Amino acid sequence: MVTERLPRRAASLASPEPLAARTPLQLAWRQLRRHRLALVGGAILLVLYTMALFADVLAPYSLDYADRAKFYHPPTIPRFIDAQGRFHFRPFVYNTTLVDPGLRVFAEDHTRVYPIRFLVRGEPYRFFWLIPSRIRLLGVDEPARLFLMGTDGFGRDLFSRILYGSRVSLIVGILVVAVTLPIGMLYGGIAGYYGGRIDNIMMRVAEVIIAFPAFYLLLTLSAVLPTNVGCTTRFYLIVVILAFIGWAGFSRLIRGFVLSLKQREYVLAARAMGLDDLRIITRHILPNTASLVIVVASLSIPGAILGESGLSFLGLGVREPCSSWGNLLSAGANLVNLSRSPWLLFPGLFIIIAVVAYNFLGDGLRDALDPRLRTS
Amino acid sequence: MLRHIVRRLLQMVPLLLGITMLSFLIIQLSPGDFLAEIRLNPVVSQETVDQMRANFGLDRPLHVQYLRWLANILRGDFGYSFSFQVPVLWLINSRLLNTLLLNVVALLIAWLVAVPIGIHAATRQYSLTDNLLSLTAYIGISTPTFFSGLLLLFVAFKTGWLPIGGMTSLDYNFLPWWGKALDVARHLVIPATVLAFLTVAGLMRQMRANLLEVLRQDYVKTARSKGLAERMVIYKHAVRNAINPLITLFGLELGGLLSGSAILENVVGWPGLGQLILDAVVRKDLYVVMGSLVIGGVTLVLGNLIADILLAVADPRIRYD
Amino acid sequence: MRRRWVARLAGTVLVLALFGGLTAAQSPAKKLTLPDIPNPKVVNYPHEIGKYGGVHVRAQISDPRTFNPLVAQETSSTDILANVFDGLVEQNYITGEIEPALAESWTVSRDGRTWVFTLRQGVTWHDGKPLTIDDVVFTYTAIFTEGVQNSDRDVLTFDGKPLRFRKLDDRRIEFRTEKPIGTFLRVIGSEILPRHKLADALARGAAEFNRTWGVNTPPREIIGTGPFTIAEYVPGQRVTLLRNARYWKVDKAGNRLPYLTRYVRLIVPNLDALRLKFLAGETDVYGARPREFTEFKALERQNNFTIYDGPETFSSEFVVFNQNPAGVRPPKLTWFQDVRFRRALNHAIDRATIANQIYAGRATPAWGPLSVGNKLYYNDQLPRYEYNLARAEQLLAEAGYRKGSDGVLRDPQGNVVEFTLSTNAENNDRVAMGNILRQDWSKLGIKLTYAPEAFNTLVGKLVGTFNWDAIIIGLTGGIEPITGKNVWLSSGSLHMWWPKQEKPATPWEEEINRLFSQAEGEVSQEKRKAFYLRWQQIVAEQVPILYFSYPKTQPAVRNTLGNVTPIGLQGAIGPIDTLYYKQVLR
Repeated sequence: MVTERLPRRAASLASPEPLAARTPLQLAWRQLRRHRLALVGGAILLVLYTMALFADVLAPYSLDYADRAKFYHPPTIPRFIDAQGRFHFRPFVYNTTLVDPGLRVFAEDHTRVYPIRFLVRGEPYRFFWLIPSRIRLLGVDEPARLFLMGTDGFGRDLFSRILYGSRVSLIVGILVVAVTLPIGMLYGGIAGYYGGRIDNIMMRVAEVIIAFPAFYLLLTLSAVLPTNVGCTTRFYLIVVILAFIGWAGFSRLIRGFVLSLKQREYVLAARAMGLDDLRIITRHILPNTASLVIVVASLSIPGAILGESGLSFLGLGVREPCSSWGNLLSAGANLVNLSRSPWLLFPGLFIIIAVVAYNFLGDGLRDALDPRLRTS
Repeated sequence: MLRHIVRRLLQMVPLLLGITMLSFLIIQLSPGDFLAEIRLNPVVSQETVDQMRANFGLDRPLHVQYLRWLANILRGDFGYSFSFQVPVLWLINSRLLNTLLLNVVALLIAWLVAVPIGIHAATRQYSLTDNLLSLTAYIGISTPTFFSGLLLLFVAFKTGWLPIGGMTSLDYNFLPWWGKALDVARHLVIPATVLAFLTVAGLMRQMRANLLEVLRQDYVKTARSKGLAERMVIYKHAVRNAINPLITLFGLELGGLLSGSAILENVVGWPGLGQLILDAVVRKDLYVVMGSLVIGGVTLVLGNLIADILLAVADPRIRYD
Repeated sequence: MRRRWVARLAGTVLVLALFGGLTAAQSPAKKLTLPDIPNPKVVNYPHEIGKYGGVHVRAQISDPRTFNPLVAQETSSTDILANVFDGLVEQNYITGEIEPALAESWTVSRDGRTWVFTLRQGVTWHDGKPLTIDDVVFTYTAIFTEGVQNSDRDVLTFDGKPLRFRKLDDRRIEFRTEKPIGTFLRVIGSEILPRHKLADALARGAAEFNRTWGVNTPPREIIGTGPFTIAEYVPGQRVTLLRNARYWKVDKAGNRLPYLTRYVRLIVPNLDALRLKFLAGETDVYGARPREFTEFKALERQNNFTIYDGPETFSSEFVVFNQNPAGVRPPKLTWFQDVRFRRALNHAIDRATIANQIYAGRATPAWGPLSVGNKLYYNDQLPRYEYNLARAEQLLAEAGYRKGSDGVLRDPQGNVVEFTLSTNAENNDRVAMGNILRQDWSKLGIKLTYAPEAFNTLVGKLVGTFNWDAIIIGLTGGIEPITGKNVWLSSGSLHMWWPKQEKPATPWEEEINRLFSQAEGEVSQEKRKAFYLRWQQIVAEQVPILYFSYPKTQPAVRNTLGNVTPIGLQGAIGPIDTLYYKQVLR
């Protein structure tokens, strides 16, 4: 509440920090810091992206590794106390064997403990896509397996696949925004700057895309995707589709903002100086839309993450053998799994966490960057 | 005002042309056609397949197919579905009301819940309740509908409290009118909750932001300084003004009434347009897809128009001339 | 009045009727009649006398697409219409033998080219009009009308010559074929249509006829002769069928069938919902998936149903390589046409894992095109390709394919062996099978791109552009292999590895053509079997299609239902005619 904030403002006024030193960025940061949820969101995202970057090291198994005898295996929980009641300092697991494929029941073999080892030799990969390596953070000796989040129907480690899938799901949003931003900014900038007939025509074209119910557009477009390409290429195509839908709405926002900006003195001055239009747009107008752009970007990334999961649910997203949170969830999300193998819904948790985190951050950024909502 | 409406309606024409042309191209240029399943039936010969292609006019050049379709649309003829062999309009009609019912109910719930929550959160900005409500709202917009729909279905199955999907019970026809209403209401609970949950979040955040802004305005301060009770200030003066911007949002939601629930309908078996259209797209049932696009596009534009009008009615400062 | 009659009958002791080896001329020991039908069909599979009444509910995925039985293709339509319409003959659900239906008997001329069918007397349409021979003539006229969409025309055209037919008298119709057709009875079961309802539509042209009786038709317009009439269709929700009180079948005690009063088919969005509705008690029959067997077994008592251990289905999923020069070029073409290459890869299919992972062990490995469930023609002497990667590598090496030190397989000319494996992404089982194949084949050093894609895109390539390498897919199968001649004749449009060949590319394809032609003309089932056995042998040796396994069926049925057993071919439960509820709630 407003009254509640007064003492705090007084405190900040009393601080030794000179007022003049506050740049807009610093102001924004101060504001953001007060938005606790935004900071939490940012921290979560930092962790998630770090996990995606180091997926190769963190994942006990490779993307494709499958133990055919251990499909629908429940998560292996590291233990300290064995079947005889003895305590082990090093956490360990038991080996298991399939008892009934229909009921998805496994039996533990209590005759031997398999301690969890750190920095073990696993399957080969390329560290940062460059340096060949076999080092994996966690592992157990064969034939036991370390399935921290259980396995899917093929006997693939879900935890590893979630880690690798995060590379797709977390990047899809950023890529989409990276494509839509420049297009939308330029398009909206030009339309808003020139106004009149040009604006009219350009906005009608954009409206065709906006007025297209997104769901149908997604469906129709993804039905056209070439499918004999590998799943990585397909992923980029999905980015293109999501971007194709996104740019128009974004350009309309920018246009509205530019319409008001172009009446500002500095723009009028630049015009009077005879600078060419493109230069005015790119140098003087668009930079001033920065705060709007950042806010919109942080709020459209989660949209793209959800879009990918929706496409996957309809069977039109990232496909086997690649993994993404969306396709992992849609493969796992059915009622049989819900009652028999609920761990297959873990990817859904990751989607929700990531999207919530982005929304926190975006909301905080809006509060911080949008002058109208700034409270001090 | 009238001129504005006419102009907006006229603008719809090139818009719809653009949408339909684009989607026609996309669908027709993509590989495969709706006869795929028939081709894979061992007892059907090539001649039969060719003949069906000719029957459906699929052997003609693209632009001819499009222009023919367009000419028919202008006469109110949406064409025939390939796979159902019945008029597209009949198919859409048979499900349109169901989708509308679901979305309108969800919209009502969303508004009834979101506005009070938004007020509550705004009057206690950054408090624990504000943060908790925000968190819940965020989770709402962050959960894919197919996921939350499935979870609720599972709960319904485990507890037996609610029917598992569908829209009416077997004995629906034998029920009195209030029994029918009750029956549909019971079936509505799961899908409407999921949909409303999704909208509540956005609405609530908007309401909260609007109210926060209004509370900083001078007239609110004046009202406070005159010694009016805080409740009076908020509900009598601030809330009224904070709701205005939401009206635009309302119009946008009206436009999404037909396509917003598509994925969910497929999860919970709600007999609406979503199922029909998904199926049509997957099977490349061309005219069903095109027809629903036209209907979807029209509602979207009409929704925006209604939003404009409502806003003008609610806020005398806005004029369209 | 009737209720008392039923109550008395319900007490009769169960007597097993003899079945099998039935011919048209056979008649039951005691002559049973109905007031309107002098010679009703007495069902001849084992059954007990049931009780009248009850609402039976089953669920199906997706809406019916038409109520016109001639035009209907998808099971979502045919599963409903099968209860509303009848053909001249029908198939016994246990033995697969052909039995009389609307035709009460038939004769065949000595040369096997002329068939005369005699109509059952007193049968009426649902609207009370009598069924006449003109209706039968009308049906076959419609089938052969240019532009009427149906698949019956194709199976009734022999060597490019359509079936000829004419009315002999008020009860008899004569069919003539150019050459003797041994399998004629298998293809003459088309649903008979009412001329008085549809003649106008047909007169207005084929396109009009195709649209007649669409799903927008008022249900009472749809008139058949079957056990049920359509009472209501609510799009996206259900189809309700009502008992036909004039049906022409009786049980062994002479009671008119069916027993059930109402039969509702719910429309649900997916397999999941199908299962849920059954477990929640909303439906009474569920075709469980193989991996659900043990799970359902454990639920039997709690949910009051029985899950039966049914026989194998008739169809297997398989992988096929493109051998069509119009679709792939050398070196791929060379590999795919090389039988040694195909045999080697066949050894690299882990059928045990497929059976375990996808079917939870309830599947039989497939070595040939016929299922072990097809008791009439199955060949159990086929060569087997056990899963053995070492053996596969050895076979490849013998054929000149070598794995280099880099782990990449190269053909005798030094080309890297790489190709794309595809399947339809909508089918999770197939996607899973593809994954297993991909892993094993990659171990052989093949650079495999695995790209599941949309069903109609896939089919577009398979039979349209021919632009594909290897595809995992499945086909439905009938009991008589001849119905799959579109797949097996080298000129067939579904001869997937190289469709529509001018003349057979290989001697073995030529031999299959010859075998099918001989089988088609052979009236004796025993002699036909010899041809079919040889055909299976050739397919197993030449492996143009690499089959995986034939999954078992496991129908789950609520215990309140009677006359469910015996379980028939492909896991069929007792026909709807004789199903009844042991306790009928009023």
